[in-house]
Amino acid sequence: MKQKRELVGQPHPQCFFSEFPAESDWDAVIIGAGPNGLITAAYLARAGLRVAIVERRYEVGGGLATEEILYPGFYSNMHAIYHLMVDFMPAIKDFDMERHGLVWIKPNLQTAMVFGDGGSLLLTRMIEDTMDSFHKYSDKDAVAFGKLMRNWRRIVSEILAPATYIPAMPPIDLTVAMQRTDIGREMLELVEQSPLDIINNHFENDRIRAFLLYISCMWGLDPRETGIGFYVPLLIDRGMNKCYLHGGSHKLAGALSREIVRAGGTILESSDVIKINRHNGSVTGVELMEGRTLNSDVVISSLDPHTTFFDLMDKNKLPTDLKDSVERWKYDKWSFNTVHVVSKEAPHYACEDQWVDESFMTIFGFESTKQLLAHWDNVVAGKIDKNSLGGHATCESFLDSHLVRKPGHISFFQMHAPYGIDGGWDKRGPEIMEAMLAKWAKAAPNMKRENIVMAKQETPKDIEIRFPNMRRGSIKHGDYTPIQMGCFRPNEACSNHSTPIKGLYLCGASTYPGGLVLGGPGYLAANRVAEDLGVKKWWKPTKEMERYIKTYLT
Amino acid sequence: MSRDERYDVVIIGGGPNGMTTAAYLSKCGLSVCVLEERVECGGACETVEPIPGVRIYPHAMLMYASPAPGFEQLELHKYGFRMVWNPEDMMRSLTAGNTTTQGVTRITEKDAMGFAKLGGLLGQPPFTRELMRATFWCPPHPPEVEVTDENTPYMQVYKKYQPDVCTPELRDWTMFELMDEFCESEPFKVTMAFAAWASGAAGHWEGVAIPALLSVQLLILPNTGKLSIPRGGLHGYFHAIHRCAVAHGAVVRTACPVEEIIVQDGRAMGVRLRETAAIGGRKIWANKAVIAAVDYKQTFLKMIGREHLDPSFIQKVKDISLKNGTLYVSTYHTRKPIQWNKKFKAMQESETGVAGPAKVASGGVYPSDSRELYYENVADCDARKSLPTLPPEKLMWFLTPSQAFNPTDCQGRYREGYISAAFEVNVPVPEYQIEGIDAQDKEKAKLDAYMRKAFSQALDGLEDENIIHLWSATGREVEFRNTGLIGGTWCGSRHCRDQSWTRRPMPELARYRTPIEGLYTCHQTTGHPGGLCLMAIPYNLMHILIEDSIAEPGKWWYPSPYYIPQKEKVSAIPR
Repeated sequence: MKQKRELVGQPHPQCFFSEFPAESDWDAVIIGAGPNGLITAAYLARAGLRVAIVERRYEVGGGLATEEILYPGFYSNMHAIYHLMVDFMPAIKDFDMERHGLVWIKPNLQTAMVFGDGGSLLLTRMIEDTMDSFHKYSDKDAVAFGKLMRNWRRIVSEILAPATYIPAMPPIDLTVAMQRTDIGREMLELVEQSPLDIINNHFENDRIRAFLLYISCMWGLDPRETGIGFYVPLLIDRGMNKCYLHGGSHKLAGALSREIVRAGGTILESSDVIKINRHNGSVTGVELMEGRTLNSDVVISSLDPHTTFFDLMDKNKLPTDLKDSVERWKYDKWSFNTVHVVSKEAPHYACEDQWVDESFMTIFGFESTKQLLAHWDNVVAGKIDKNSLGGHATCESFLDSHLVRKPGHISFFQMHAPYGIDGGWDKRGPEIMEAMLAKWAKAAPNMKRENIVMAKQETPKDIEIRFPNMRRGSIKHGDYTPIQMGCFRPNEACSNHSTPIKGLYLCGASTYPGGLVLGGPGYLAANRVAEDLGVKKWWKPTKEMERYIKTYLT
Repeated sequence: MSRDERYDVVIIGGGPNGMTTAAYLSKCGLSVCVLEERVECGGACETVEPIPGVRIYPHAMLMYASPAPGFEQLELHKYGFRMVWNPEDMMRSLTAGNTTTQGVTRITEKDAMGFAKLGGLLGQPPFTRELMRATFWCPPHPPEVEVTDENTPYMQVYKKYQPDVCTPELRDWTMFELMDEFCESEPFKVTMAFAAWASGAAGHWEGVAIPALLSVQLLILPNTGKLSIPRGGLHGYFHAIHRCAVAHGAVVRTACPVEEIIVQDGRAMGVRLRETAAIGGRKIWANKAVIAAVDYKQTFLKMIGREHLDPSFIQKVKDISLKNGTLYVSTYHTRKPIQWNKKFKAMQESETGVAGPAKVASGGVYPSDSRELYYENVADCDARKSLPTLPPEKLMWFLTPSQAFNPTDCQGRYREGYISAAFEVNVPVPEYQIEGIDAQDKEKAKLDAYMRKAFSQALDGLEDENIIHLWSATGREVEFRNTGLIGGTWCGSRHCRDQSWTRRPMPELARYRTPIEGLYTCHQTTGHPGGLCLMAIPYNLMHILIEDSIAEPGKWWYPSPYYIPQKEKVSAIPR
């Protein structure tokens, strides 16, 4: 590797102190300090590379944001809160996050769905509690769930979860590999079915169907689409194992940023990258809006495809295939509209089973599969029916008293919502917030005006303003469809985290395996860069990954 | 198995003082743990995005620290420290004039030259940095040393470079008296005195003329007439300090409030975390020192058991005055920009603030007519301690430089309208407020309307139909967000003569030591020079920690040239 100049402070001609210089040299520059950018930077910095990571916002973390947007002293998790992959994410083990005082809570009662008649369904960490709640409606479904999860849990822990951190394979190779085991073949059968088919085939009771369908599709699957069915076991199993990070999601970003700095890396916030520099087709660094240049033969972008390839580079100098694929890229089919509230009392649901009040996530507003599907169809069509909406809520302070510094509670109610809503968010926002609060008060009668001290709505447009690379409010930087998943995310040429442009790598949610704080793209990009540069990896695959490699790939 | 942790030094509080101390001590090779109550460090160096695309600074927003040795000693440039230069912004408010009820009045040459002279700018060569460092970046003298004109650091600097400033009265004067000597126009003096009141040491206080005047100068002169802020606001500056600490090995624990400082046989042994802490109520032990980088109330009245402190000490702690600029801050989001009205055309024409055709009003003190008016405001706030009794036309306010002045500083992506500069009004310390501690909170709507009327005396654009949002914060809301900003005061305890230098906040605590062995303080409420995010308390504290053989810095360390070592201690001056 080339010798890099030492970082020398730049004095201002009439000033008492020095600043970070106008030009500096790096082994790798990472664009965007969301979870994936931070993970890539942390691995590479500890591997001995001189790493700089540039973030537009004033604080690192991207969606890992825990901020005071309501009253001072009340913290809301603005974005990511349900950490699905804590059990498997290599970064958590490799960086020994416990050392940083990170503590994840995994409550047994993970998700509840409440109905207008006081009935409820539960999804729990311990399977018997889920089955018990199903027994209220259907013995057959309760038994079926127990049986189904025997293999589905294995499909997740032995295949899908470890594969998240192993480079994408072409479908044909994957199919051949999966033939080796029973659960592999079962997984392949699921792929070809739609979430709706899978749920309907296994369960008879409509409430149970609606419940499991919500959990399977809530992160952006089309319930009727085939080719993505493997997500159903993954999201149900992970839906039983969500974790909450005590002190708020931002703590993970803080810990990762300290890992980067401890290993000699540099973090620059409040800096917009405006250009990826190229010379003779290879990248040579980035330019910041403030006028600084960071030189590096390796640039790793965690941004969405449009920003990386079209905004930061000359679109017309891209290979045609790459340009076409970016133009075809589809953002998430729906975004989220979230109402954050401070209330005097925690939500108390009108429900026979009082345990529901302790649930990490509570779904309400839907009485049937039909109603749920109608809501999603509306959302995809750019509409929201105020009389028939629903979503999920979490009382954050119930799990984490640290988020509130005087008496009161902090919660949110989140619903699937279109980015391009009929009439526009500026106009429709207030009435939709009212409708959501009314719906919440119906499910949890104490969430009335007199209990709510303050409420604030974050629309899909707001998501995009806060986090511009979540274009159209796309929390995953791009839709989950068969042609945008696996080795097609974001396209065949880039899904292995390198690109046709020499020195340019991708590490964000629009690249395999995708979004939702999996930490997959960031980990895989670090691996790819380390391999390409011939840097010795200080880390080893997790034991789940090793088992997967042994079973399916060797 | 015990999950307790052990370090050389445990620092309570991850604000600018705690973190700078962590950076200094970890650079000395000590193992350091910083315990922060909130989910992110930074204390008052905070940037928030209350609605998407709108970034505001709820507390610290201006850069006072530029002469600090910390930039050099901690090499902050390596950790991403950058500025957003805003040429001439403050220069223009200095040259445009003073805003009085009669319109803009001229700043005379005598005003400007007198002010510049006191700030060390007219010396050959200019001695601003040395003067500033002597005043703020030097630990108070040891108790056995009598403070005299000869050994007062700023007096020594003036004697060396500008001897005519040194008079026998200088150390007794108020800032008004000092300006009466060196400047001439009343509105100029009132403007500066009011700016000093909002910066921590008021223009009418006895015996703090130089520190008060220099606290205003810190804002202007070290940046050579350019009112500039760090990239990302003071939080960006804090990031560089935080990362320096982490790069040298400091362990930072967020969401870990401290419940108790563990004292055994009169010595601080460590701390016990509150049960709600992210890692539970475990104990964190300190081999060498516990440093309380939190306010004096939490330190002495909450975290230490009463049995460890004597009643006279506790009484003195309770008596520390908080009257030090509890600021009621308002920031507006408006459809059309807020601008100076016709009467203040000269101000509007000189605006350099926001890029683009429509300039937002910024940088001013109104009304600066006379010190009688100033005293009426003081009387309302600190004497009557009541909700405002003055008519809004008489309320004095400070309009900060524009908060969104540089488009490369990223956050100005709000969908529509303009963000105003922050308006600051001095209000009573809530706990002294005669109508009750929560009076400001209860009357917030009325206060907002009253202040809007006051601001409208000089500005257009504050009509109902023009306002999209208003963020305002009462003293208690400030404290609520940032526990250490007790009383909502911006610089902690009063920087009056009886609470400054060798008496800050009381003689027993002046050298950052406490009655508890091994416990040191490091907070704007408890040490010289006080607030403004200067990296000064940590630098000054370093001298003391060297004296006590806790810190042994490398070659990068240099002490204050005006420092006097304590008898029978290790000197902080390298041999």
